[in-house]
Amino acid sequence: MIQLKNVSRTYSNNGQKPVHALKSVNLVISKGEFVAIVGPSGSGKSSMMNILGMLDRPSEGEYYFENKEVNSLSEDELASIRNKKIGFVFQKFHLLPKTTALENVELPLLYSERRNIRELAMEALKQVGLTDRVAHHANELSGGQQQRVAIARALVNEPDIIFADEPTGNLDFASGQEIINIFQTLNKAGKTIILITHDQTVAACAKRTIRIHDGNVSED
Amino acid sequence: MNKKEIFKGSLRILRRNKMRTFFMVLGIIIGIASLSLTFTIGKGFQKQISERAKKYLGSNGLIIRAEKMKLDGKPVNSDLISTLTIEDLKAVASEVPSVSMFDPVQFLSNREVISGNRNVSTTIKGSSVNGQFVWNRGVIKGEYFNEGEELNASRVALIGSGIAVTLFGTSDPIGAQIRIGDVPFVVKGVLEPKGVDPHGNDLDLDVVVPITTMMKRMMNVDYIIMAKIILNDENRMDEAVSGITAVLNERHHLTENGKSDFSIITPTFVKEKIKEMTKVFSVFLPSISLIALLAAGIVIIVLMFMSVNERISEIGLRKAVGARSKDVLFQFMTEVSITSLIGGIIGMTFGLACFKVFGLFMNFPFYVPWQILVFGVLLPVLVGIAAGIIPARKAARYNPVEALR
Repeated sequence: MIQLKNVSRTYSNNGQKPVHALKSVNLVISKGEFVAIVGPSGSGKSSMMNILGMLDRPSEGEYYFENKEVNSLSEDELASIRNKKIGFVFQKFHLLPKTTALENVELPLLYSERRNIRELAMEALKQVGLTDRVAHHANELSGGQQQRVAIARALVNEPDIIFADEPTGNLDFASGQEIINIFQTLNKAGKTIILITHDQTVAACAKRTIRIHDGNVSED
Repeated sequence: MNKKEIFKGSLRILRRNKMRTFFMVLGIIIGIASLSLTFTIGKGFQKQISERAKKYLGSNGLIIRAEKMKLDGKPVNSDLISTLTIEDLKAVASEVPSVSMFDPVQFLSNREVISGNRNVSTTIKGSSVNGQFVWNRGVIKGEYFNEGEELNASRVALIGSGIAVTLFGTSDPIGAQIRIGDVPFVVKGVLEPKGVDPHGNDLDLDVVVPITTMMKRMMNVDYIIMAKIILNDENRMDEAVSGITAVLNERHHLTENGKSDFSIITPTFVKEKIKEMTKVFSVFLPSISLIALLAAGIVIIVLMFMSVNERISEIGLRKAVGARSKDVLFQFMTEVSITSLIGGIIGMTFGLACFKVFGLFMNFPFYVPWQILVFGVLLPVLVGIAAGIIPARKAARYNPVEALR
């Protein structure tokens, strides 16, 4: 489903020495996998997620997503793939303030052709066990609940693959555990999960671990 | 993209940021309200004067006005004389084919009109029998004076309804004796009420006497001050003007390029004059309110930039979940358009309400010119779009990775 061929990502700030965040990475991830990408901060794992999630493009090399070369796609086509095939979960949740849980979950549907958005959003909130909090504003929810809203938002368009960037980083242990359980359940239901973390215990929940160090990838 | 839901989302965002929305709307309200108010007042003013002028002149009428001049050897403050005579008018009527009727006019201003122990000071007009048709003003009581009375310079008078009330109250004035200065008159009729003329004079305070009576018995002159001429075809106005000019030039021994001793006022001339006079109201004041609208646009730009900067991570998120750049642009443009439209509609309503109050004090008829709908709806949206496009494009161009950081 995902294949990276010699992918590099270089950030060049004008005048300064260019930073090589990813160095000629080769990687294959198949449908239904639960992969943890592990590495210390600054190792290039966020760059990896941005490229895999099509928020960013490789500087060099080729990225095939479902056999399509991503560099040949336009910005609008990438947006459409992010909307239909990919769900994102972020460390800082990124929920809209002063907006209800339900409206937050509806957000990706606004950019799709789907019309029954209320029902779909309710269904996604049910999957993360938050049906009793739909009308609450994001800031009225606990950290764990906010991250569950964010997962519901990632699920609502029924994507094939979910990217989670340090999803437990801002949570206490118990809440973090709940979130990991949700990912495991989703994986059992057939979703591909790619989890980026620096936490070994979190990484241990995945079926496969990819280590990244200084822009180079090594597998366990 | 689900436009309806994005629109609903925009409304929610505006509602939840009340302060910012309020100030964006406020600028537009002030701009559009002042524009609507000044424009309606200007138009109303113009309309009021035009209507009075139309009543005064009609579409097929024109005025010949004699240039007044001081006679050598007379003191400066004495009555000025002119060179226009009734004979001139008779010549005009016989030589210019499109002229169907004329009415010579002479004035005496500030004359005491006395009945018993009541008196009033007003303007006395001398006019011919034709006056009732030429000025389209008959009597509502009694009778107009007739040709015989005009020929004999009879001491008969027609009084305006205002004068009738002042001098006679509720009793019947017809047949009553009045004095104008020292000359006794018999009231023959009460003139049809006409209101105010384009110069602001109350025509219901008129007293009209036969032109001959005024010239022979009250002034002892052989000239008139002006005349109104009615044409049988309003489309032959230009032809009539040149015809009349030619006849008068010849009779007054004037050369084509020399100094003229009369002027001709046509409906077109009056229309132009009114436009010129009311320019300050219809053009200048509304232009000043456009400056207010410009300021409103600047306020919108600033607040929109603040809004975009506050919402960078929201923009990043929207892009991450599938919003294209144009979807983000659409969202911000929707927000600014809604704000401006609301401001425009409130401003227009407020401006019209002020105009209504102004009208009550100034005795203006209330009406809504169609241009106001353009000002109230189209203009604010245009201002909003023009002001919003730069911040909205900045928002749309954010790279999702940077915006999410």
